[in-house]
Amino acid sequence: MGTIGATLLRAGRRFVSSLPALFGVLVFTFLLMRVLPGDPAVFFASGPNAGKEEIEVIRRQLGLDKPLPNQLAIYLYDVGRGNLGRSMMTGQAVAKDLKERLPASLELTLTALLIALVSAVPLGVLAALRPGSLVDHSVRLFCSLGVCVPTFVSGLLLIYVFYYLLGFAPDPTGRIDIFATLPPQRTGFLIIDFLLAGDLEGWWAAARQLMLPALTMALFVIAPLARITRASMLVSLGSDFVRTARSVGLSWWRIVVTYALRNALLPVITIAGIVFSTMLGANVLVEKVFSWPGVASYALDALLVSDYAPVQGFVLLMATIFVIVNLVVDVLYGIADPRATVA
Amino acid sequence: MSFKMSKRSLLAATALLAVSLAAPSAHAQSRAETLRYVTGATVNTLDPNIPGSTREAFALSMSSYDRLVSFGRKQLNGKWVFDLDTITGELAESFQVSPDGLKITFKLRPDAKFQDGSPVTAEDVKWSLDRCVTAPILGKAQLLTGSLTSADQFKVIDPLTFEVTLPKPDKLALPNLATVYPIIINSKLAKSHATADDPWALNWTKENAAGSGAYSVETFKPGEQVIAKRNDAWNRGAPDKPAAFKRLIIQSVPEPATRANLVERGDADLVIDLQASDVQSLEGKGKLKVISTPQYNAVTFISMNNTLPPFDNVNVRRAIAYALPYDDMFKAALFGRGAPLYGATWADGKPPSGSYPIPQPIKLDLDKAKAYLKEAGMPDGFSTTFSFNVGQAATAEPMAALVKEQLGKIGIKVDIQKLPDAQMSTAINEKKLPFFIEGIVAWLPSTDYFYRNFYTGKQRWNYSSTDNAELEKVAQAARFEADKAKYEEEGKELNAIHYDQMFQIPIWQASQDAVMQPTVDGYVYQFTRQVDYRNLSRK
Repeated sequence: MGTIGATLLRAGRRFVSSLPALFGVLVFTFLLMRVLPGDPAVFFASGPNAGKEEIEVIRRQLGLDKPLPNQLAIYLYDVGRGNLGRSMMTGQAVAKDLKERLPASLELTLTALLIALVSAVPLGVLAALRPGSLVDHSVRLFCSLGVCVPTFVSGLLLIYVFYYLLGFAPDPTGRIDIFATLPPQRTGFLIIDFLLAGDLEGWWAAARQLMLPALTMALFVIAPLARITRASMLVSLGSDFVRTARSVGLSWWRIVVTYALRNALLPVITIAGIVFSTMLGANVLVEKVFSWPGVASYALDALLVSDYAPVQGFVLLMATIFVIVNLVVDVLYGIADPRATVA
Repeated sequence: MSFKMSKRSLLAATALLAVSLAAPSAHAQSRAETLRYVTGATVNTLDPNIPGSTREAFALSMSSYDRLVSFGRKQLNGKWVFDLDTITGELAESFQVSPDGLKITFKLRPDAKFQDGSPVTAEDVKWSLDRCVTAPILGKAQLLTGSLTSADQFKVIDPLTFEVTLPKPDKLALPNLATVYPIIINSKLAKSHATADDPWALNWTKENAAGSGAYSVETFKPGEQVIAKRNDAWNRGAPDKPAAFKRLIIQSVPEPATRANLVERGDADLVIDLQASDVQSLEGKGKLKVISTPQYNAVTFISMNNTLPPFDNVNVRRAIAYALPYDDMFKAALFGRGAPLYGATWADGKPPSGSYPIPQPIKLDLDKAKAYLKEAGMPDGFSTTFSFNVGQAATAEPMAALVKEQLGKIGIKVDIQKLPDAQMSTAINEKKLPFFIEGIVAWLPSTDYFYRNFYTGKQRWNYSSTDNAELEKVAQAARFEADKAKYEEEGKELNAIHYDQMFQIPIWQASQDAVMQPTVDGYVYQFTRQVDYRNLSRK
């Protein structure tokens, strides 16, 4: 218990030390958005007879008429109070938009990560147990395919086969069938909310919607996870302690799972953390293809129309999540390997 | 995590996938009475007046709010389109224009009610129109084009009579009241949400609809969907009948291929923004109804900035006009879906009509193009950039490639620039782009309106930065021309100047391809270039 307490304490300290980085990200994104060409006021003043006056109105609305340092000061003050500004694109407060969309992204990404881990770890272990065999090569082939095919292609293919041709999957538009009634929102994760509400039919509908996009995402990240599992499994299978365990005559199963895999999982955890953070932000294409109301597609849309506030809010959110995920990885590390210290 | 555990979850996951049965959707609420419309865009406000409103927001507002009057419809080449010249009452039971053309008197329908049940009165009309010309909103610039500029012009005579006074007779005043912006708002309700720094309750109407329209908004999730319910008391469409569909679902589906799948599988009823190639193939399969209407109030241009060298030289512009691969572009970008604006023959070289736009007598003719380049003093050509925006990439990308290839043959080196939408509009606004693809739309497409808005002044819409005294004079004269024959003459004169000076090159009017279930009926091409849900019914 003491070690866990110490780990958490160090994790807390580490979180505090990452605050300056977050602040840097905040200021940097703010400046970057304004340096990039493209004037949101001009873009949004696009009515058939929008003139200079209208552009000015929007500029004032967005606070872009003030000098840059003032804008920055106002923005920092607002962020300090939890106000991330307003999106021109949706007309809503950015904090509200992100709050509504983050659960959708998290639900999708976590499901995808789970599918990926559940398939990648066994694949990696199998490949490591017989390096150079047919199994090893077919795992490699499968992984290469997963990585080579861009997500929007695999997504569209899955839609084509399972929805368009076979009609198994529901129509690929968002998180839930449009005619379904939503459960009371408790977690924002539909599959959990439906369970809490005891609505199994709704749960099934939501799970079916989730399947194809999660699979599309998972296919893409199985490769790095399987490769790293294989590599670290090879190392630990060749290590002294495994040799010792073998010589003592422990069962094969026990050697592979308890000794080798437990040690091999450390780098997998690290990579899984990185993969998770990346997936959350980088899966714009999956969200677009499946009309998934997540944060990534929201940020991309905003970026295209130079809508500053959502992009800044999104980057801040991603940076925060990155920090948190890294902390979680460190803590898990500490639990998996008592020698690792969170320094 | 033990291996056994993961094996079990692996099995579970496989089972889930395998069992993914086509269970019928849980709450198939009388699907036939619901219109499910999918779009790549999104509704971002419930008040179309808010700066930054999307076209989908305009479309929704046509159904959630009423205006005093609305446009009729007419047949154009066998397709129903909006008719600018027929104005019918919407909230107005009748209207009268005084003989001198300075006063328009509206009699309101006595049975009209807002969605909360309160009657629509002339007070509401006054407040709504006052707001339109006073508040810093989109309606202001629009109503200006119909000489509606001040609250003093609007007068309540009695609860059901309303009067508009004009400074001079203006044929665009009445049509302007049928456009998107002059919505009639439940003023009592809106006022109760006004604040000192928001006297017109803009922040509230952005998220709440307070109208008397055919549909009332139930859920509004910007970027995802809008669900609206029929207002059974609404009877402004067919006399004494509410709109046909009981529910309306407007859903944002960003991926065009997915939209095509949805409509083909019968999960969506109607979509108007598919890729031309998908429309082509869906039409070929013959299972769906496809109505393609050339957007007769919109024009696509290859534009040149007449103030930037070398495009300040009229002969360079003429050279470009004869060097463009029109037919190839039309096929590659639109699959031939639209109305071309090139390749005409003008007898005796004069414009055959005073409308705008009309097909130009230009076609691909490299010898002519070379001769013009020579005349411009650049026989060996020059280098320039050619820009388009990412949002238009599906059609613009093949066009740009063809332009580059073709102009290369006469020594003009083209560097293609693909710009994010906001960047493109900024560059155009600052008049920085020499040569690019753009388009225009007019809600009230009359010849003088096009020329005044798109060929004069410094605003963004004057893409070619045209500054031509003669053109301006004729266009301004035509603005208040009451005599039809004379107006036609002025239109011809404008078209002649345009062709002679080749400010920019109108290339085509792309089709709006509405793809729908065969049961969907009543589609009309509207001035908003969006669907008016009130027109639709299911056979």
